[in-house]
Amino acid sequence: MDLSNLNAVERAQMEQLIEQKQMKDFLRMYAGLVDRCFNDCVNDFTSSKLTSKEETCVTRCTDKFLKHSERVGQRFAEQNAQLQQGGQGR
Amino acid sequence: MSFLFGRGGAQQQQQQSSLNLTAAESELDMITDLFNRIVETCYRKCIPAPYQDGELTKGESVCIDRCVSKYFETNAKVGGKMSGGAAGR
Repeated sequence: MDLSNLNAVERAQMEQLIEQKQMKDFLRMYAGLVDRCFNDCVNDFTSSKLTSKEETCVTRCTDKFLKHSERVGQRFAEQNAQLQQGGQGR
Repeated sequence: MSFLFGRGGAQQQQQQSSLNLTAAESELDMITDLFNRIVETCYRKCIPAPYQDGELTKGESVCIDRCVSKYFETNAKVGGKMSGGAAGR
């Protein structure tokens, strides 16, 4: 993101916008993660509480996804930086 | 890729105020969307469901790195074709 062609007021507005979007994105990720781990881990409805096996699965699923997302973020930043550099020359 | 990360050379900053902001917002939206699609797709392709533990395995990690790289490449290829430019070569 290059905000250098925005003036101070715009930049403040943009920062506020980014904050709002981050919040929204966080909630979206939370909902998505619940859905993913529920679907992958919980298939037995003979009890109304999570079994210990399901609970372990949910924990692993959550940990794994967060680590996955973090790693993608790192690679994404690298690729994006590369792209920006390449685009600058033209 | 200019459609993705392009920024116009805006001279008349004051007049273009809302335009600049709109451009920055759609750029942010596009990047966020791309990121979210990559997270979703590469998770589906690299992390199989019965979870043995909460760590990423070596194989999964390598898969993720390659997946992100290939997704970007594919993104550029398709983008190049769609805009008819030289980026699709």
